[in-house]
Amino acid sequence: MSDDRIPLRLYGLRRGTVPLCTALCGVFALFILTPFLWIAINATKTQANIFQSFGFWFARPFVAVHNFAMLFADVDGNGVYMRWFGNTVLYAVLGGGGATVLSALAGYGFARYRFRGYKALFYLMMAVLLVPISALTLPLFLFYTKVGLINSVWGMILPSMISPVGTYLMRTYIEISVPRELLDAARIDGAGELRIFVRVAVPLMLPGLMTVLLISVVAVWNNFFLPLIIFSRNELYPLSVGMGVWSQHATTSGDNDLYPLIVMGGLVTIVPLIALFLVLQRYWRGGLLLGSIAN
Amino acid sequence: MSTRVQLARPAGAYGTGPRAGRTRRSWAARRERRGMGFVIPFFAGFAIFTIVPLAYAVYTSFYSTKLIGGTSFSGLDNYRETLGSGPFWNGVIRVVIFGSIQITVMLIIAFFFASIFDLGLVRFGGFFRTVFFMPFAVPIVVAALMWGFLLEPQYGPVSRFATALGLGDVNFFSPRLMLPSIIVIVIWEFTGYNMVILYTALRSVPRDVVEAAILDGAPLHTIVLRVKLPMVRPAIVMLIFLNVIGASQLFVEPLILNNYQAGVITSDYTPTYYIYNTAIHSGQFNLAAAMAVTLGFVVVALSGVALLFRRGRDVTA
Repeated sequence: MSDDRIPLRLYGLRRGTVPLCTALCGVFALFILTPFLWIAINATKTQANIFQSFGFWFARPFVAVHNFAMLFADVDGNGVYMRWFGNTVLYAVLGGGGATVLSALAGYGFARYRFRGYKALFYLMMAVLLVPISALTLPLFLFYTKVGLINSVWGMILPSMISPVGTYLMRTYIEISVPRELLDAARIDGAGELRIFVRVAVPLMLPGLMTVLLISVVAVWNNFFLPLIIFSRNELYPLSVGMGVWSQHATTSGDNDLYPLIVMGGLVTIVPLIALFLVLQRYWRGGLLLGSIAN
Repeated sequence: MSTRVQLARPAGAYGTGPRAGRTRRSWAARRERRGMGFVIPFFAGFAIFTIVPLAYAVYTSFYSTKLIGGTSFSGLDNYRETLGSGPFWNGVIRVVIFGSIQITVMLIIAFFFASIFDLGLVRFGGFFRTVFFMPFAVPIVVAALMWGFLLEPQYGPVSRFATALGLGDVNFFSPRLMLPSIIVIVIWEFTGYNMVILYTALRSVPRDVVEAAILDGAPLHTIVLRVKLPMVRPAIVMLIFLNVIGASQLFVEPLILNNYQAGVITSDYTPTYYIYNTAIHSGQFNLAAAMAVTLGFVVVALSGVALLFRRGRDVTA
């Protein structure tokens, strides 16, 4: 994919075009990297220094270890960061993993079978993308209060497993990468439909599955509205809501020493996801996100 | 027909008689029906966590809860109140302004970078693409927190930098500059994601089309704007669509920035923020449900704009 570019000289470019474009990328990269740089440096500072010292260089005392250690403590009863971290991992693994499995199954059903009403179901699923989060979450809250799912981790995990976008991406990917002939050949060999899915289709779907897993995990990691509404006990919060509540406490109660925790906590929140993206680069770079626009 | 031949034809699947044809069709139909089994787990969850809540939102929007008298049917009262609600429409107008600026600027930047990466005009292109995509891995809460610190009027390094440049005391969180600040933050968050999708779409433009344009002597900007841009229009339409849905539900950024500057983010700053405050802080669930449903219709109307863009100058396809 990277070697079939048309040679640059054919475009008849002016000299200096490449350095100019590279420089423009450098400027935009600086804009993108500035907050990352700021948070990495300031996670090592005391509260006073976060506000008073120069933002883009280190300052004494260097308290990175202390700030990190405080993430394991309950600060003034506002909640324990590491607890939230564990919750987020739990929600992301079960919710994102579940979303990937359900999306793969449903995407396969849509791509390779023509059962009655498959079109209606598919369009219903896509139409719901237009429904505002608030129109889904507020009634969910009322429903949860009735069935006792308020302050239950399942109230967070189960809805996270439903991903119309993931299902759409899987359908598109399967249409491109799982040939019908192969499935028919397996059927003639007498394999059952589920067995064909597991043994024949899934191995061919792996890159698509990784992309959907990545997108689903990020979606759960990011989810804010749902946990904000359904959790009232702070030991159940995911990171997003916990950090939001901290920042509110820091300003309203004039709480001392909450800011270094917010900065260090923010850093620890983004490092795992960036690492995940770097490891799985070829999946998001390879064009699988394109699945969302192929048709 | 000999027995041997019959043995070679399992269950009449390849028969030629009138009965055999029906058997084949029903065998195929039965197999296709098994496909239902694959979508059932997803749709069971979809029904419980999407369709039922949505139906309940519509249902409850026709009722009112009074302190005395409890819940009773009130017809379109909540919708009348929503349509006449100044704060709600203030928020809608604000996100429309926000979205039209943010989406336009972001897509221009994303398309520009996707194009120069696609053409190979950048050294270290792979490195830059990874950097540009990084904010997608940052939860919006954390992105808003970081930018809150950076832009904070008293101590924020960006504000101090502006002062050092001789611009005076710039307050990025003043009522006038808050929305532009949020626009910058959202552009920071999502340009990379849009860029990656546009880049992939541009890479799939057939090489011979571009070569033909070069042979015709078309200059580079013509190739990009007149040859490649029309060919990736489906990708652009999809991105406008997704971004309109996102922009119309602006919520987290104002909620977090409210902690840095009191009083600027009013309870009606965006429709979703107002719905949230109406439901959770004022406890008016029925009214909030009517507002949420109304917002849904607004989103549908606005995404129609994306489809207009597709039809707009579509002469070729």
